[in-house]
Amino acid sequence: MDNLLEIRDIHTYIGQFHILQGVSVEVPRGTIVALLGRNGAGKTTTLKSVIGLTPPRQGQIVFDAREIQGQRPFDIAALGIGYVPEHRAIFRDLSVEENLRIAERKRGDLARKSDLIFGLFPDLKRLIKLPGTHLSGGQQQMLAVARALVPDNKMLLIDEPSEGLAPVIIEQLMGAIRQLSAETTVLLVEQNFIVASHLAERYVIIEEGHSVRSGMMADLVRDQATLHRYLGAA
Amino acid sequence: MQRLLTGLRKNRTVLITMVVLLALFLLAIQGLSTQDWVITLLRGLSLSAIIFLVTAGFSLIFGLMDVMNFAHGTLFMIGAYVGWSAYVRPDTVLDLLPPVALLAAGLLLQPLWNALLGRVRLPDLVARVWPWIGLLLAAALVVGVLSSWPVSRWVPGNPTTGPGGDSVVMDQALETKQPRPEPASAGRGPVWALAGALLAGTVGAASLAGLARRRQAGELRAARVSWRTWAVLGIVILGGIAVYLANDALTAWFYRLDTTWTFMIALVVGLLVGAVLGGVMEVTLIRPLHTRPIYYLMVTLGLGVVGIELVQVLWGRTEFTAPKPALFRGAGAACPATDLASWLEYHCSTISVLGGRVRVYNEVFIILVGLVVFVAVTLLLQRTRLGMIIRAGVQDSQMVEALGINVRRVFTLVFALGVALAAFGGVVAGPSMGLSPAMGESLLLLSLIAMAIGGLTSFPGAAVGSLLVGVLQQFIIKYGQVGIRLPFLAEPFKPTPPLVPASTVLLMVVILLVLPQGLLGRKE
Repeated sequence: MDNLLEIRDIHTYIGQFHILQGVSVEVPRGTIVALLGRNGAGKTTTLKSVIGLTPPRQGQIVFDAREIQGQRPFDIAALGIGYVPEHRAIFRDLSVEENLRIAERKRGDLARKSDLIFGLFPDLKRLIKLPGTHLSGGQQQMLAVARALVPDNKMLLIDEPSEGLAPVIIEQLMGAIRQLSAETTVLLVEQNFIVASHLAERYVIIEEGHSVRSGMMADLVRDQATLHRYLGAA
Repeated sequence: MQRLLTGLRKNRTVLITMVVLLALFLLAIQGLSTQDWVITLLRGLSLSAIIFLVTAGFSLIFGLMDVMNFAHGTLFMIGAYVGWSAYVRPDTVLDLLPPVALLAAGLLLQPLWNALLGRVRLPDLVARVWPWIGLLLAAALVVGVLSSWPVSRWVPGNPTTGPGGDSVVMDQALETKQPRPEPASAGRGPVWALAGALLAGTVGAASLAGLARRRQAGELRAARVSWRTWAVLGIVILGGIAVYLANDALTAWFYRLDTTWTFMIALVVGLLVGAVLGGVMEVTLIRPLHTRPIYYLMVTLGLGVVGIELVQVLWGRTEFTAPKPALFRGAGAACPATDLASWLEYHCSTISVLGGRVRVYNEVFIILVGLVVFVAVTLLLQRTRLGMIIRAGVQDSQMVEALGINVRRVFTLVFALGVALAAFGGVVAGPSMGLSPAMGESLLLLSLIAMAIGGLTSFPGAAVGSLLVGVLQQFIIKYGQVGIRLPFLAEPFKPTPPLVPASTVLLMVVILLVLPQGLLGRKE
């Protein structure tokens, strides 16, 4: 199968802590893959290792047939990876429009993508002149996803999109992400299993820094024993 | 309306503090005659403008990179001395230009070496050792070239033949409107030394490229040498050779040039030298330390001390002043100009404002320069893409990097810009405050206080803080002369000179007690 991203047995340290102790993930082109696992298992660190914010000490990360481990985050991002971090990281001192424009890699990216972005998130169009601080949590999350859509990205890394949001907003976001997956590939970290199972075709479970299970989401939903063991879910 | 009210309520403490400060100011001017307080206020604003030029860069660098650049005061002082040299002794600068230009030309070749080294495979040991040998060789060459290169220069520390003497000669020439005697030419340097400078730069660049290659993990991006690099290279080499050939004619031309123009050139030289110093400092010292932030403190503090020693070796310990340029030297007290409009006609050194006579350079020009820099940097921050990246980076530089933006290059640019502003401030301060190796230290302290008052990472905060510190200082000095009449004391209370710096610290303490994040800082 044609994998857009392949993480091969990476080991990542934060300070002296050995956070990832062998994580392997395959993300086929055009799919959504969900990283599952308990709090502190290393899901966020896996995304950060891909984008280069916490570079792995061992192992390989192959994106689009190119090894990217050890490169600087801006070089990795420029290959076509959009990162939507935990807690959104919206820039407070920038307006909504500037928060989008800063993600441009070529002049006119935003103008070219505005139909797509405002089609997915009509709210943002209304708020375009407001400072980033004046948005609600849901609007900030939409802005964070929209920001990753401004340049031509081949892949999105989305960390905890549903965290702290009202169910109605989660619905809206899920709709947007599903719509996106028609064109891009997504690696998703999601605590909320219901959200993850509705979005992703495939899953990888991470437990204490190891990737322990992977497969099709449809199989996992029926596998109560695995769910109970690794996710503590009913 | 509703929004205005909530805005007011949210910033209640800040507003009350502002009102209290304004009331204190109004109280302070009650005890003085109109012309006294106007002069004191303008002197304060002039000092504020100088403090602001240092604080602006300091706070931009700290906000974006979390680096407290304790060498900033020293860089301000170096700017003052370099600017003075370009202004008062252009012949010295012209003598030094050719070898420096060729050295720089060699260093500009680094992209070429990067590209070439990418194709060569060397045994590991050789690859590890040769860059260091190359660097040593380049350093030896630089020393050899500079020691055999004739430079007409002053004798550091000597009262008549030193920099102070040059200032006095220039001042007298300007006062009597006679042409200034040209110092004896040092003669033409040997051609081999020029070639040596080019070679030193080339070897140095190749060694640096070799070092960088060893440090870099993974594949090296294909480095191309753009036509722009070649163009700059050509201009630098040709410029250096042109200055070498036409040295005497250029010197004569500079000595006959109106000092207003030489001063403008000195301002530009200060900006450029500051930018280069800042850029080099960031790339060589700050960037490699980004994993060990505590070392920033030691490196910048140490660099500040080294800079002071270096200036003492090159220019001497004694203080001296830079003469004011011709534009500000019309007839003195007898000058007919009373306001700015007639000043444009006579260029008087002083004009009267609300009954008090103020010096145009010190109390008008410097304040204008401060305002222009404030507006320019604000426009840069608010209207350009670079400014947008800086504002975003102040909050979260990792996220900016994850968006695909080369933050390191932005760091280098901001560091260069910050140091350039400080060095520029030094050139501006030369004719009003005078030059001494210690001038940067006291200013650094004031600018730290200004930054704390305004809010550490806020650029408008840096401006407001500088304003308060400068004005407060001058009012305390003024009251040190006239005294404050207090109800319980028979004698008016006169703040002694040590109270001047103490007063700004006191202001900082009070403001930080009320507003821990400073006047315009953001609540954490």
